[in-house]
Amino acid sequence: MIRINDLQARVEEKEILSGINLEINPGEVHAIMGPNGSGKSTLSSVIAGREDYEVTGGTIDFEGEDLLNLDPEERAHKGIFLSFQYPVEIPGVTVSNFIKTAINESRKGRGEEPMEAREMLAKMREKTALLEMDKSYLSRSLNEGFSGGEKKRNEIFQMAMLEPKLAILDETDSGLDIDALRIVANGVNKLRSEDNAVLVITHYQRLLDYIEPDFVHVLYNGKIVKSGDKNLALELEAKGYDWIKEENV
Amino acid sequence: MSDEILDEITASEYKYGFTSDIESDKVPPGLNEDVIRLISSKKNEPEWMLEWRLDAFRTWSEMIEPDWPNVTYNKPNFQAISYYSAPKQTKTLDSLEEVDPELLKTFEKLGISIDEQKRLTGVAMDVVVDSVSVATSFKETLAEKGIIFCSMSEAIQEHPELVRKHLGTVVPKRDNFYAALNSAVFTDGSFCYIPKGVHCPMELSTYFRINEAGTGQFERTLLVADKGSYVSYLEGCTAPSRDENQLHAAVVELVAMEGAEIKYSTVQNWFPGDAEGKGGVFNFVTKRGICERNSKISWTQVETGSAVTWKYPSCILKGDNSVGEFYSVAVTNKFQQADTGTKMIHLGKNTKSTIISKGISAGKSHNSYRGLVRVGPRAENARNFSQCDSLLMGNQCGAHTFPYIEAQNPSAQIEHEATTSKIGEDQIFYCNQRGIGTEEAIALIVNGYCKEVLNQLPMEFAVEAQKLLEVSLEGSVG
Amino acid sequence: MTDLAQDLLSSFVIAEAGLNGSKNLGVVNMRKEALDRFETAGFPTTRDEEWKYTNLKPVLKHDYKIMLKSESAVSFGDIKQYLLSNLDTYKLVFINGKYSSWLSESTHQSYDICTFAAALNKYPDVIAKYLGKAAPAGETFVDLNTAFADDGAYIRVKANQTVDKPIEILYITTDENGTSFSQNRNLIIVEQNAEVQVLERHQNLGTAESFTNFVSEVFAAPDARLNYYKVQNDSDKASLVDNTHVNQETGSLVHVGTYSFGGKLVRNNLNFYSGGEHAESHMDGITIIGDGQTVDHHTLVDHQEPHCYSRELYKGIYLGNSHGVFNGKVLVRQKAQKTNAFQQNDNILLSDKAKVDTKPQLEIFADDVRCSHGCTVGQLDKNALFYLRSRGIPKFEAQGLMTYAFASDALEYIKIPQLQKRLNGVIAEKLGINLEFAL
Repeated sequence: MIRINDLQARVEEKEILSGINLEINPGEVHAIMGPNGSGKSTLSSVIAGREDYEVTGGTIDFEGEDLLNLDPEERAHKGIFLSFQYPVEIPGVTVSNFIKTAINESRKGRGEEPMEAREMLAKMREKTALLEMDKSYLSRSLNEGFSGGEKKRNEIFQMAMLEPKLAILDETDSGLDIDALRIVANGVNKLRSEDNAVLVITHYQRLLDYIEPDFVHVLYNGKIVKSGDKNLALELEAKGYDWIKEENV
Repeated sequence: MSDEILDEITASEYKYGFTSDIESDKVPPGLNEDVIRLISSKKNEPEWMLEWRLDAFRTWSEMIEPDWPNVTYNKPNFQAISYYSAPKQTKTLDSLEEVDPELLKTFEKLGISIDEQKRLTGVAMDVVVDSVSVATSFKETLAEKGIIFCSMSEAIQEHPELVRKHLGTVVPKRDNFYAALNSAVFTDGSFCYIPKGVHCPMELSTYFRINEAGTGQFERTLLVADKGSYVSYLEGCTAPSRDENQLHAAVVELVAMEGAEIKYSTVQNWFPGDAEGKGGVFNFVTKRGICERNSKISWTQVETGSAVTWKYPSCILKGDNSVGEFYSVAVTNKFQQADTGTKMIHLGKNTKSTIISKGISAGKSHNSYRGLVRVGPRAENARNFSQCDSLLMGNQCGAHTFPYIEAQNPSAQIEHEATTSKIGEDQIFYCNQRGIGTEEAIALIVNGYCKEVLNQLPMEFAVEAQKLLEVSLEGSVG
Repeated sequence: MTDLAQDLLSSFVIAEAGLNGSKNLGVVNMRKEALDRFETAGFPTTRDEEWKYTNLKPVLKHDYKIMLKSESAVSFGDIKQYLLSNLDTYKLVFINGKYSSWLSESTHQSYDICTFAAALNKYPDVIAKYLGKAAPAGETFVDLNTAFADDGAYIRVKANQTVDKPIEILYITTDENGTSFSQNRNLIIVEQNAEVQVLERHQNLGTAESFTNFVSEVFAAPDARLNYYKVQNDSDKASLVDNTHVNQETGSLVHVGTYSFGGKLVRNNLNFYSGGEHAESHMDGITIIGDGQTVDHHTLVDHQEPHCYSRELYKGIYLGNSHGVFNGKVLVRQKAQKTNAFQQNDNILLSDKAKVDTKPQLEIFADDVRCSHGCTVGQLDKNALFYLRSRGIPKFEAQGLMTYAFASDALEYIKIPQLQKRLNGVIAEKLGINLEFAL
């Protein structure tokens, strides 16, 4: 589905990613772990197309297309979804209005007709129930005055509505208590299928108890230094990141 | 955002900038007592009206043009303006079919075809092209309820007692330079009277257009809501693109008698000048309402047009328990300048006022909020809340806030808040990531920012206002 | 033109002859040009937007004496109560505008704490570099002061020095000259990474009317720190127009606190020019006034460079038929991105006859800024008042306590405990309450 080849990126002269290689196939769940400052969030931002990062080398191929030439919204139309670590507040714009606009713009981008209001409503109802959200969420201003947990749940709600091919969850577990974590993870698991893939970016192993990865990669100093199955995450948790650092001095 | 997007879109020209050819009956430029006599006689006015105009003219002659607003422009040459122009017509029209087809075409281009408006929205229209009314509708439905809704000229002829009683009582002739000028030379406008206890069954609406090169536009609106009545009034305008500046100095007077409620909504989209800041309408308007006991006046405005705007819809809260509201969105782009706000004068006991002002500055424009909240010594328990927010788009524009607060009663409670912010890159990226393009993202964010004001507008107007905001701000984020 | 303006113009020739700095040609020309501008402009009236709410007419109508004589009969005992007790300070005392060496304690050790008159003669280079550079030509009262001022405080703290004790500046007016018009001027220069605290006070000891047109120019070099406290508790015969202009460079921090309790008419023109990145400007104040009094705070923060911070907090409590005015302007220039500016003005009217006019303004020319302002006019919270009374605190004391609580956060930036205590005492006295337990 997505093939990242020797990806290098920098921000303000500072190199953050120095040759990332990663391939994700439909139906797979990958986890990227790493200490603070290893480049995890940069990787997600570069895939989503944030302009603050300059790609200095390598390629990202998404379903046979060069992703790096596309605007952020075009990547979204192709089915890439990023769950933000810090979701942004937009005062006065309701959750329902925002998601309606997002869905219809994506459809327009793919040359499809807008979704019918009735269908939209039914879908919103279904997905709020899935994430155990109160319906009043929908009429609140986007992320404004939301608690950390509410913001994250709202991200997964949008993911459920948009049904992306590749969902990137950037530190989605941070700031969540155990109940919220369970609801969010449950939501993600329900959305998994043969046709889509999930990339989980996290500092801790905790989320991986709930969203079980097929592959775990360790990112350090802008490179993937170790890959393995879910046991690698457990090993990492037990030994700590110093273990990786020592191995890679 | 890249500069290219900015350039690309700021270059999008005024969509409603076209001219229609209608023959005009025009008075030669210049202003003196003879011109005023001529206007008055052309309109077949009674003697008292002529005297009233002449008195206003003499007052005006001794006044100087104000320079305190935070705007700069070349002052109009009042002797170069033609003060009267009427579409050439020999007889009054009975139906739309008789209206100049050229004019109907103009309305179609604007998307406000009268037929359609009539059929779909049930709005009674008093269409003003330049200075004289050419068509009014729904009169019969209104007449059943005793509501008078007609042109000012007609009101002077048909209802002189009402006009004489109220004209100039809210905005006196000598109130300010432009109000005095308007009082001397106004050619037409709307008059509306809602009888005691009557709830006006439909939104009353006037569409203004400035249409004749070099013609000043001096509208006069008088709206009287008798005891316990209710009316919602809509005013909207678009103007064709012109090289030279066009002066518009309207006066709107509202009288809300005991227990009455007036809702006055405006969507204003006059030609703002071209990409170099050339041309565009000067909009120097005096709007004011007076509230008797238990009455309420609510002003809502969405201002996106004009080269220079200078406008402060105000409420004099004279009666006890009266309420004044002001909801405003003012957008400036390119070289536009706006100095706008409101005055809430609390005189009666337990009077309340609310001010919500949302300014948006883009391009090289300047947008100022200027407001006055005054609590008089006898206004026990007066309450005011003001929120004045500014949104900046790009770093070549300015946003300014000049609130004046004058309290002379210890029981007054006044709160004023103001913030300044920009549309964040992170907000736009977030929208992009969810598949929403930058233009749509800005429209979405701006509409969210203005929501408290847009919510005050009647439905069909709110839709038009949203469209206007989008057109006015296309590509302005830097 | 007012009679007073005429008197001033005709007195200038005589005054000029006796003025210090007459040997310094630059200063001579500066004075003449300033006088010319004053002649053209005259005194402002309420038709002038900047003076809309404060009418000077009643205080300008008196027949003021312009050329003042000092008085030798003033003793330390007469002025002691206007100085901070229990605190060692440098002192610069002026009687009717003239420096009184026997009441003062100056120094030239690590820093210059002396008089403006002396500096005009002794430091022509410094004068040329700073005089008139912060206070803008064209402001009527500044021009008038520039033309006439021949004495005042001169403070220059050299780089990396911290002045070991606060400096108190006291301007005394006596009945010696009858109704008197005085014009003094401070020049305060805080060089790189230097630090100083200054207290200033004007006091009319007599019974005749007095009018003071005062200018203070402050220069804060990179990383300099200055706390400048203005205590205004003059007699009801005294009027003051205070013009304080502060130039700030990179990383400097300047706080000006203005505590207004007395005087007949007090106008504070306080202007900050934030001309270096990461400069911090703080201005705050409390006004508590009663019958016959007007206090007008007129502030400007001019943000010229990026990344600067300004904080403004003024609290007003108005009794009797007093009149409070606040006019605060925050100006953010196009270059001054990332400015963070905060402005708040809160007022309580405690009498039917008191009034307040407030005009907080923002003028923003940069888009990436955080600016907010707010102002309120209101009353004490009735529920809180009831709560206090239900706990046995009498109504009057309860009101006083709550009023004090309303005002006191404007005292937080005072770094001299003795001053804080002194001001608390004045507030308690003004509100007629005992604040012992609240402190």
